[in-house]
Amino acid sequence: MKASNDIVLVEDIVKDFRPGFGLRRKRVLHGISFRVREQEIFGFVGPNGAGKTTTLKVLMGLIHATSGHASILGHATTETAFRRQIGYLPENPYFYDYLTGREILDFYAKLSGVDHGHRVARVDELLGLVGLSHAADARLRTYSKGMLQRVGIAQALVHDPRVVFLDEPMSGLDPVGRKDVRDLILRLRTQGKTVFMNTHILSDVEMVCDRVAIIAAGRIRYEGAIDEFLEAGEPEADLVLAGLPPDTAVELEERFGAKLRGHGERIELRVAEKDASPAMRIALNAGARVVSSIPHRVSLESIFMTAVNESRVEETPS
Amino acid sequence: MMLRIWTLASNTVREAIRSKLLYTLLGFAIALILLAIALSQLSYVESDRILQNFGFASIRLFSVAIAIFVGVNLIHKEVDRRTVYTILSKPLSRSEFLLGKYVGLLITIWLQLGIMVAFFVGTSLVTGAPLGFPDAAVIALLSVELALVVAIATLFSAFTTPMLASFFSVGIWVVGNLTRDLKLMGAKTADAGIQWVTTALHRLLPDMRSFDLTLEAAHDLPISASDLVIPVIYGVGYIAVLLVTSMIIFERRDFR
Repeated sequence: MKASNDIVLVEDIVKDFRPGFGLRRKRVLHGISFRVREQEIFGFVGPNGAGKTTTLKVLMGLIHATSGHASILGHATTETAFRRQIGYLPENPYFYDYLTGREILDFYAKLSGVDHGHRVARVDELLGLVGLSHAADARLRTYSKGMLQRVGIAQALVHDPRVVFLDEPMSGLDPVGRKDVRDLILRLRTQGKTVFMNTHILSDVEMVCDRVAIIAAGRIRYEGAIDEFLEAGEPEADLVLAGLPPDTAVELEERFGAKLRGHGERIELRVAEKDASPAMRIALNAGARVVSSIPHRVSLESIFMTAVNESRVEETPS
Repeated sequence: MMLRIWTLASNTVREAIRSKLLYTLLGFAIALILLAIALSQLSYVESDRILQNFGFASIRLFSVAIAIFVGVNLIHKEVDRRTVYTILSKPLSRSEFLLGKYVGLLITIWLQLGIMVAFFVGTSLVTGAPLGFPDAAVIALLSVELALVVAIATLFSAFTTPMLASFFSVGIWVVGNLTRDLKLMGAKTADAGIQWVTTALHRLLPDMRSFDLTLEAAHDLPISASDLVIPVIYGVGYIAVLLVTSMIIFERRDFR
């Protein structure tokens, strides 16, 4: 039954491809179903080749589903007029490299029906938002990969859509760019927009997503709120210590069951979150320095790995 | 809808204007037209006819070559470079996309034709060769032929690689120039099977000769209104069938 606040609804989608010219078909999506609710940031997570991009292409009408039904904002994905309300960033986006940054955004704004009166201001606003004002009049063939990714994000937002679909939005970005995009995604939510994000980077998911679905080998393995993942299991923390004496390292290992990894004079250890403070106190008393202490979201990673391993077992011919 | 088609069309023209390769091809065509002046000087008689024949032939061959060369890449390049992904996620149909690309390429090809014709007119004025309605009729029908060639290239570009699309498009254009002769040859044989095949080829493939009035223009033969109107109707009808077929194929494609 469709809930009233479902922005994206995917029901039992199957997709078969013909790998060559023969009649043999390869099934890449095995009847997947999930839903995205209004004003949430939805992470569609899976390893490479799991079917994330294929699913997104079905939603964008770039690929026809073999069977099943998908809708966005109540419209079948085969319709076109409603796309005025959606924005899409493909994975590793390509653009007409003979156009400038300003020209390409103007082109997409025209295609999206942004009227002439607002277009110039909107394009300038978007160029500023993604940090490309300085390169607005340079041809795209002179842009770096990270700059093209920013153009991709800008074109997805140029018509102020209600729903934004992002396929690996952090791809090709440096740490500053990744943070900018994360902040941008969070800002979209505060503006009341719904964001669908394909990714295989769990840390990105943990930082921005409200709900996730895990896909592996063309099947949805898990769907739920991110808090459910994070509340499951005992929370852990990663400590990075410098100058830790060997005997203290052994003590931490034995006392807290810490898992140690060494990097030169730095030692990284994972402990239960409740043990992080006592472990740091012992290390400091032994003359070590605490370089960092980061909470470790073990539950999402473990569920992800379980899903991937299950799919591998299923795919192995008996 | 018209605005979206025009946006795509004008961008396609802009791409051509910013492409160095097309200028090279255009340069070759203009060089050949200028060569016609030199060739026409080799003959003491009928130098005007040599100039016209050579000029029209250069314009036609280069225009068709450019139309096929650019046309076969028209859709394939968009899919191959994945620029089509972002465009088709906007509120426009695949048919609008295809039509926009077609119109854009057609405008580009006609612009190139216009430049070549301007050089041809210039060389004719310099050498004192007469120009008149027959020459205009040749160019008018050539522009329809080019629209048809672009539609053929677009059809193949919608579902196959540029190499295969080039092969098919050139093949159809060449055979399309021979179907009248093939039909006549078939009519002279007693074999009903050959007659059926040659007639079918003539009816199925585009009759490119119906757009060629070079002979009439060069020899001052009369050109009637029907010589112009019928090929235009035939060409427009054929183009419509090709474009609708292209749209149906393109609508069904998966962009993997």
